[in-house]
Amino acid sequence: MDINWFLIGLGVTAAVVLLFRDWRLTITALLLNYIIRALFMFEQQSVLANASVLAQIGTLVAVKVITGVAVTAILAITALTFSRDYGLEALDEFGLSELRRAARAAQRQRATDPFHLSDYVVPFWAGVLALFASATLPWVYAIAPTPAADFAWYWLLLTGVFTIATASDLLKIGLGLLLCASGVDVLYTIVVSTPNASGLNIFPMALLSHLHILLALAIAYLSGLLYGRLKTLDLNELYKR
Amino acid sequence: MLYLLLIFFPITMALSTFVLRKNSGQVIFVGLGTVITLMLVATQIPLDDPTRFLGITMMLSSLNRMFMLLFLAISGFAFVAAWHLPHGENFIPAVLLLLSEVCAVLLLQNTFLTTLLLGLTGLSAVLAIVDLPVDTGSLVGTRTIAAALKYMVLMVLAAILMYIAFVLTDIFRPGELPGRISLVRFILALLAVSFALRMALIPFHAWLVDLMEHASLLVVVIVVTLLNTSSMLVLLLVFQSFPTLLVENEGPLMVLRMGALFSAVLGAGMALGGDSLRRSMAYLILYDGGMVFYGLASVSSLGLAGAVFGALNQTLAVVLLLVSLALLERPDGRPPGVVRRDLLRRWPVAGAGFLAGGLALIGMPPLGGAMSRLLIYQAAAEQSWVELLVLLGATLLAGLALARMAQERLLGPGEDEAAPEPLMLGETELDRPAPRRLAPEPTSAAALTITLVLICLAIGLYPGPLLANIDGVIRELAFIRAL
Repeated sequence: MDINWFLIGLGVTAAVVLLFRDWRLTITALLLNYIIRALFMFEQQSVLANASVLAQIGTLVAVKVITGVAVTAILAITALTFSRDYGLEALDEFGLSELRRAARAAQRQRATDPFHLSDYVVPFWAGVLALFASATLPWVYAIAPTPAADFAWYWLLLTGVFTIATASDLLKIGLGLLLCASGVDVLYTIVVSTPNASGLNIFPMALLSHLHILLALAIAYLSGLLYGRLKTLDLNELYKR
Repeated sequence: MLYLLLIFFPITMALSTFVLRKNSGQVIFVGLGTVITLMLVATQIPLDDPTRFLGITMMLSSLNRMFMLLFLAISGFAFVAAWHLPHGENFIPAVLLLLSEVCAVLLLQNTFLTTLLLGLTGLSAVLAIVDLPVDTGSLVGTRTIAAALKYMVLMVLAAILMYIAFVLTDIFRPGELPGRISLVRFILALLAVSFALRMALIPFHAWLVDLMEHASLLVVVIVVTLLNTSSMLVLLLVFQSFPTLLVENEGPLMVLRMGALFSAVLGAGMALGGDSLRRSMAYLILYDGGMVFYGLASVSSLGLAGAVFGALNQTLAVVLLLVSLALLERPDGRPPGVVRRDLLRRWPVAGAGFLAGGLALIGMPPLGGAMSRLLIYQAAAEQSWVELLVLLGATLLAGLALARMAQERLLGPGEDEAAPEPLMLGETELDRPAPRRLAPEPTSAAALTITLVLICLAIGLYPGPLLANIDGVIRELAFIRAL
């Protein structure tokens, strides 16, 4: 039996995004996920041997990789610049004192928030559930032309949804949304290029990549606002006040 | 060329107004000029004349042109209201960006592209939601950020579900594989959830209540009118493109109708129990959304005409309601922190606008909503009398909610009407504080409110021309003829 390494790579990188909290790890995993997804699509198109798509396959892979690099660069730069403050000169005394209070609260929280294994239990079991569903659904409700493609899009979509559901910070919600969008990207590219479908069109693909980048920008913007307000990206703090 | 102008001109102007955003007045005039130019361009485009551009079909139907002009007019009204009402420094650029995306949604005939554009409108609206006024000294509220985040997540998920549904419709061929859920039903379920999220139907409504409570009311106007109504038009395009979704699907369509009834009744009930004007208004809008969706889900010419007329009325009524509410919430010169019960006396134009908007929303004659309600009730009567009774019950609840709001906040006795107490021993007239001189309502906002009330009245009194246009378009729809 042939082992599909691209599929395993997709699975592992999405699982890292779901399980881990450190942004350095999750954003790197997201970049790898984009690259592996592009290669997986290349492999799937070769399997389908659709002549019109094969002629453009290099461009397709390049577009997916460039989108991935842009998205992860936006998120990584945002995460790196969280230590800086913007627009303080416009704030009045009340705003500034509120910021100082938020900074103290965030500092306290970081100091009293050690590593808990229990924080990973829910994401872990969510991952197990997603794996079970993604392995079963291609047989129960096949949509894509190959089981591997079905597994890929079901897995990306479900890990994305579970990442959003179990997210503890805003950046993680963004990563979950991007995984969901990646799942739809796989479904569209592979299913619509089959002979009995309407065929790939450049505009929806361009707009889909555009949506990925704008989604990353929106997440970066909201993260910046939240950090500027509370000095943390923790969702508990956001809903506490 | 005109099609591209409708899409790209607002983007260019959005960039220009973004650069000029510190000069509020100037930016409002530029925004108004852009909207008027776009209206002129929209009237020049030939109707039902498909054009191909780089492999994409673009077409403007008469229904879409009517709504496009309405959206442009609504944006113009919002810009006028922004002269006196609180709004963020990027409000005009964000609205122009949204207008460009909504124009593209109405012009494009490709369901994949319209879905992605609807997703993009959700992301663009986030910019407006978390916006702060020019040179403000405060920070963005955490509740506002939370509302924006919720809105963004739900809109992206709605776009994803919609996109999956359209991929499935692309490969759907009649003849199902035995032993698995029908693909048509699966597609219909995906579309129902995604459009319910976009149109804020209960139980997918949480984002609307949060936006109403924590965002600027002018931004809510744009989100509810431009984005929700354009979603409804996309749903009509979907029905038109894939009539197989509706043929021989009586069971799922009944579920959709039940969902709409549930949304209308629960929305009206929660409006009755609302603890603030904003929250109650949000639930009244949910009630109206449920009524409009019922008309769509009835899939009959009467119901669809009622839904389209209802969407048009909702667009105008929501602008009137929320602009009036924003005027009522302005600091009025009296001590703050007290719940006022005499808002109609203090702000007569805004108070009257609020009542008229509420009555139009629940479909009271002689305002604009009456005709749409009549059509939707007729469509319900064709289905079953129980559904008609539920709809009438929902409207009764909504009416009671509006009456409660009016009685508690608008129609109370005036604060300044108390008879002056007699002079005490040794006190003279000069010892008493000078009588309060409270500022009147801002002229432009009051004129806008009166104009909107008159438009609602005119539509209610003379619905004929509009109804004939809508009815003609609905009867031409392929799926209506097929059914």
